[in-house]
Formats: sequence, C-alpha cells, structure tokens
Amino acid sequence: MSPEDIDRACDSILDAPGKALTVEFQGGDPLLRFDLVERALDRISMRSSDRQKRIQFVVASTLHQLTPDICKSLKRYGVVLSTSIDGPQRLHNKNRPIRGKNAYERTIEGIALAREHLGPGSVAALMTTTRESLSYPEEIVDEYVKLQLLDISLRPLSPFGFANSRSAVLGAAPQEFFTFYERAFERILHWNREGIQIREGQAAIVLNKLLHSIDAGYVDLQGSCGAGTAVMVYNYDGFIYPSDEARMLAETGDTSLRLGRIGASLSELKAASPMLALAKHGTSSLNLVCRECTYGGFCSPDPVMAKAQFGRLDAPVGATDHCNRSIWLFDFLLIRLKEADPVTLSMFRNWARPRQ
Amino acid sequence: MRRTIGASNGLPSRHIGRVVDSSAIAAEWVPDLNFLLTVNNAEELSCLESLQRGGLTNVAPITGCPTIFRQLDVAVLDTEKALLPGDVVAVSGSQGFLHVLYREEDKHHTVFVTNRCSSNCIMCSQPPTSHEDRWLVDEGLKVGRHIRKSPAVVGFTGGEPLLAGRDLRILLDEMLTGHPDCLVEVLTNGRGFANPELANSILQDLPPRVSWMVPLYGHADFLHDFVVQTPGAFDETIAGLLALQDHQQVIQIRLVLVNEVLTEIEAIVEFICRNLPFVANVALMGCEPTGFALANRSSCETDYADWHQSLTAASSRLVDAGIRPIIMNIPLCVLPRHLWSHAAHSISDWKRVYVEECRSCSVADRCCGLFASHEKGWRPGRLSPIREEVVNEPI
Repeated sequence: MSPEDIDRACDSILDAPGKALTVEFQGGDPLLRFDLVERALDRISMRSSDRQKRIQFVVASTLHQLTPDICKSLKRYGVVLSTSIDGPQRLHNKNRPIRGKNAYERTIEGIALAREHLGPGSVAALMTTTRESLSYPEEIVDEYVKLQLLDISLRPLSPFGFANSRSAVLGAAPQEFFTFYERAFERILHWNREGIQIREGQAAIVLNKLLHSIDAGYVDLQGSCGAGTAVMVYNYDGFIYPSDEARMLAETGDTSLRLGRIGASLSELKAASPMLALAKHGTSSLNLVCRECTYGGFCSPDPVMAKAQFGRLDAPVGATDHCNRSIWLFDFLLIRLKEADPVTLSMFRNWARPRQ
Repeated sequence: MRRTIGASNGLPSRHIGRVVDSSAIAAEWVPDLNFLLTVNNAEELSCLESLQRGGLTNVAPITGCPTIFRQLDVAVLDTEKALLPGDVVAVSGSQGFLHVLYREEDKHHTVFVTNRCSSNCIMCSQPPTSHEDRWLVDEGLKVGRHIRKSPAVVGFTGGEPLLAGRDLRILLDEMLTGHPDCLVEVLTNGRGFANPELANSILQDLPPRVSWMVPLYGHADFLHDFVVQTPGAFDETIAGLLALQDHQQVIQIRLVLVNEVLTEIEAIVEFICRNLPFVANVALMGCEPTGFALANRSSCETDYADWHQSLTAASSRLVDAGIRPIIMNIPLCVLPRHLWSHAAHSISDWKRVYVEECRSCSVADRCCGLFASHEKGWRPGRLSPIREEVVNEPI
C-alpha cells in the first residue's frame, strides 16, 4: 500500500461513527512493512484522542519478523497481536511450508518475545482447519493449552482466495468437520474440568446469542456478517471492500464487491451498489428461508460466502455452507445445553459473557 | 443512628454541632460551624469562658456533669458521657435525647434524606411517615459540613431519597465536593427514575463516586408489587434501573429474603442475569426483625438454614453471569461453608449485636452478627458456634 493510501485510509477510519473502533493490520505479513504500520499507528493515535474515540490496534502476523524494537513500538500504541497456530509443530509446518520448514518454531519464538515485552495477554491465535487437521482434534486443543492460548476458534477452511483452488485437497466436507469439532469440543470440556479455562470461539458466539442479553459484538452471524456495516477493509490494491472475504474474492478475480477507491468518503461507500445488494441478501428478515428458521433471530445469510461458493449473492440460503454449519452449531449447542451438568452449564454461561 | 440520653438549655431544637475538646478547639474552630466544647472541670470551664469573652458565639459547652450543666444558661448535658470528639450531634433537649449523626470511628454512616416513602414494603424496618420533612435535607447538609474526618463511605437512605427530588442532588454535591475521597451509596427503590426529567436532573454529570442500591423483589410484577405493597412499582423500578444504566451508574440490586422472595429466588436471579446483566452485584439480605416485619411475621420469619440449596443456586448463577453475589445479615453459622466467601460483614455498627453462642465462636470477628432487634423479634436461624480454626478464607 502506498504511504498516501495509508494516510487516506486512516482518515476514513476516523470518520467511522463508532466510539470504539478496532483497527487491524493484515497482510501478507504487516511486519514486513512495519514502517507503514507505524505510520498508520501514529496518524490514527494522533487524531483519535480529540475525537473521543477508543481505538484498539491489532496486528495479524506470523510474528516471524518480530524484533524487540518492533515490540517497543507496538507497546507505545497498545497494540495486541493476532497470530496463527494450526496445531502441533508437524501439522502447522505442513500447512505453512516455508523455506526453512520452521514456520511453527519461528511463531513460537515470536509469541515468547511478544509476551516478554507486551505482557502475557498480548497474543491471540487463530487456527486454520485443513483436511490434515481433521485427524488431530485433541492434539490441536492440547497445543493451545500448552501455549497458554486460552481462546481457540475451531473454524472450517474458508472457501476463499488462495486456499479455494486447492480446497478439494485441503478443505473438509461438512460432516467431517462436524466430527472434528465435536471431538475438539470434548477435549476443551476435558481441560475445563481440569481447571484450564480454555474457550471455543464459535461456541462462545452462539452461546452469547442464546444465553446473554448483551450482544458481544461478534460480526460472524450479524446481517451480511457485518460486511460494510461493522467492517471495512482497506486493501493494498488501493480499493475498499466490505469484508475480508470480499477482498479475498477480488484476489481471485471477482472484483464485483469493491466499494470504491481508498479516499472515498464514508457516505459514498455506503451508497455503493454492492452495499445495497449485501443489505438485501444479507438480512434474515428479508429472506423467506431464514424467516422460517428457528435461528433466524440469531443469524443471517452470508451473501459474500454465497458468492464464493456459487458465484452469486442470492444463492439459495439453505444450500450454503454458512447456513448448514450455523444450523448444525446451534443444534449442537442447544443439545449440549440441555444435557449440561451444573459445571458445564456454568462454563457455558461464562463463555456467553461479552468480553470487554 | 446512635441515640443517647441528654438535655440542653438555650439552644434551638435540632441544633447541630461538632464535639471538640479544649485542647483541639483552637485548631478546629472556624466561624461558620457550631462547636460543642467538652467542659467537665474548672480548667475547661475557664477555657469556655475565655472563648466566650473573645466573642465566639458558635461554641456551646457540653458536659457530663449535671452541676456544671445547671450553672450555665446555654449548655448541653451528656448524661451517659457517651459523646466523643469529632461526633456530629443533633441536640434535641426537649425530648431528652442527643442524636449522634456522625461518629468518626464508625464504619457505617447514614444520611436520612426523608422519612417519606412511595412504597410500603411488608418487611420495612423503618415504617415511613407522611409529613413534610425538608428539614432532614437541611440537617444532612449541615452534617456534611460539620464532619471533621471524611468518611470512606456514606449511605444515603430514607424513606425514599428520590422523593427529595433536586434536593437529593444538592445533598450529593455537598457530600462529594466537601469530602473528595468519599463514596456515596444511595438506597432507593429507583421508581422516581422512571421519570426521565428527574433522572436527568439527578444523574447528569454526577461524579463517578456514587452507587445505587435498588431493591427488586420479583421477576414479575405480581411478586414485587406484593412485597412493596404498591401496584405498578415493578414497572417503575425496572424503568429506573434502565435509566441508571443509561447514565452509566454503578448499581447494586438488593433482595430482602422474605419467604415469598426465597421461594422464587432462582427465578428472580435468572431474571436479573438475563435482563439486567449490567448490574455490579446483587445483595441477598436477611430480613431485619423490626418495623412492619413484626406485623408480617409469617412472611418475614424464616430459618435461613432451610434455604441453603436456593441460596447456593442463586449465588452460582450470579457468579456465572459475572455479577457478584453479596450475602448480608445472615450469620456465618447459619450459612453453608461454601457461601462464606460471599458473606459480608454487614449490619451497621449501631444495630449489630452478638449473643451467648458467639462467645466461643472462632469467626465471630468477621461475622455480621445479629440485628439488635432480634431480641424483640426472632433469630435468623439456629446459631451454633464455629469452633475449628478457619484460616485465610477470603471474606
């Protein structure tokens, strides 16, 4: 991204109406151009205080390029780090082949360095599920426990971008993923009974909706998954997209969800034609299938995912992976809630609470 | 509020003053406060006389000695020699009492904002009166100014403090500005805040040192309205709680554990966790056996030992929701051991007593004890001293 686009993107971000914003830097790996990240951190911090906005910065990175100097800078701006851990060493390195075959080791070093400089809670991790992962649910959970990463999110492989062309090889059929999820979930319960309070993110989203009256603000099941309303993505190609998934679609040649060039005003972006289409096809009350669905009040269609899967925003909702997986997860958790012993119920209620 | 026997001459009724002894008067004296100078011997008497010769009109003598009292035209008699330096005292000589409105060594301090109330609770420990009592607000303002050593916490109570309207805000401002480190806890049924104008006039730009303690006795109107004996109260209290949250106030919900509430306590707590998850804590309070509670004994008398299961379930539900349960006014020996960590050292100093069983109890020093009024009412359960050494359990 050009320095000029960085500046323009920062200024647009501060025009967003929310009082509490999260600004996440993604790549590639943002640490490879930390000069640009610093430029943005500085510009936003300088200009956010007099607008009375609370900004949480996140840098998503393998942490391979993390240095003590970078840590010092991150600390100054209160940045937290989001990294990837797919599971134990062998699995992680297989998913993420780099020249030295040591992606796992270098991320572990990065986590240690970050914790040393930024505190024990400064790093969160996300995992990517591949066909290879499906055989190791317990090992993956154990890895998170070992690394003291007590928030794990068991997500299926996304059908987007780079992974899409190979998803027949890497991705998981729904039923295989569900079996994987159940086993991993069981393992998470095991650790909780042992006193290790590890939490599964997808379940937390659903439990928050089922059990708590204050929405935790997760965008995953919001209308259009919050695309363009709760999220805006400023891409290195100079364009703005309504979500990370929409950006990944563009990566594969489908640029139909572009909202405009970086520098466009928020009102221009809101009026862009993809936004109207997303609103129309991403609202459960406007969708006949969702209106009939028990979970319609908690969930909504994901037109961006539908486009990735079927090439159109208005693909029949019931056929989408997003719908099948959401219904399965709601069903699964309601059954677990019904059968929960007092200790498990207490844990579920805890997961349902919004984190600040 | 402590009350002690006394008398006065030459002072207006409800004269407010701070007790001070002759060694401290020079340092403490200011022109716009009233002082009650301890005079119990000839030396102190001459100190008084020299001050009065100097033209100090805001110093009156207080004495434990009837002879000295009779000698003086203006004087207060502290018959029981109960007053201490720093006490802020209301002199009601004609009634034969002195009221200690503030005592530095006490942990629990109270400002009675009004004795009027909009509810009529079945267990009310202090039945309301209906006459106009604006003088209580004036007295509260005076007490605030007369306090020498700022309290850590002051409770504002009534009656129903919101009936004082804007005067409540004036009282709050006096206490908060006069005592910059002091926290204020207001005990209110919250119903007044259902009126957005009143809510704004009291809550707008309020310093963040105030918390609100609002009783809720039901998960539905029929139960709450029964306990407070006022139709429509539930809806107003809920609206008031939401208004408090709108103004980002700290809220404690209070449940007085009468039998009707105990029967439904799990449903009430579920209601709170579901619909009012923003409250900071929920107090589960033993009932004080006095006032209307005596008249409604079948609702109010209970053995809390019979309710262990409900109290445990309610407490865990609150903990899971991130809301702290605080158990008050139930002695430790009546509670199961696993609830001790939620039990508070409650019951105001001046109302708290210990009984024969407490003498051999190893945890009496951290137990709330009993309401003094239990002697004319009943005990909260069967008491039995805790004998073994229990160390390092947080309270």
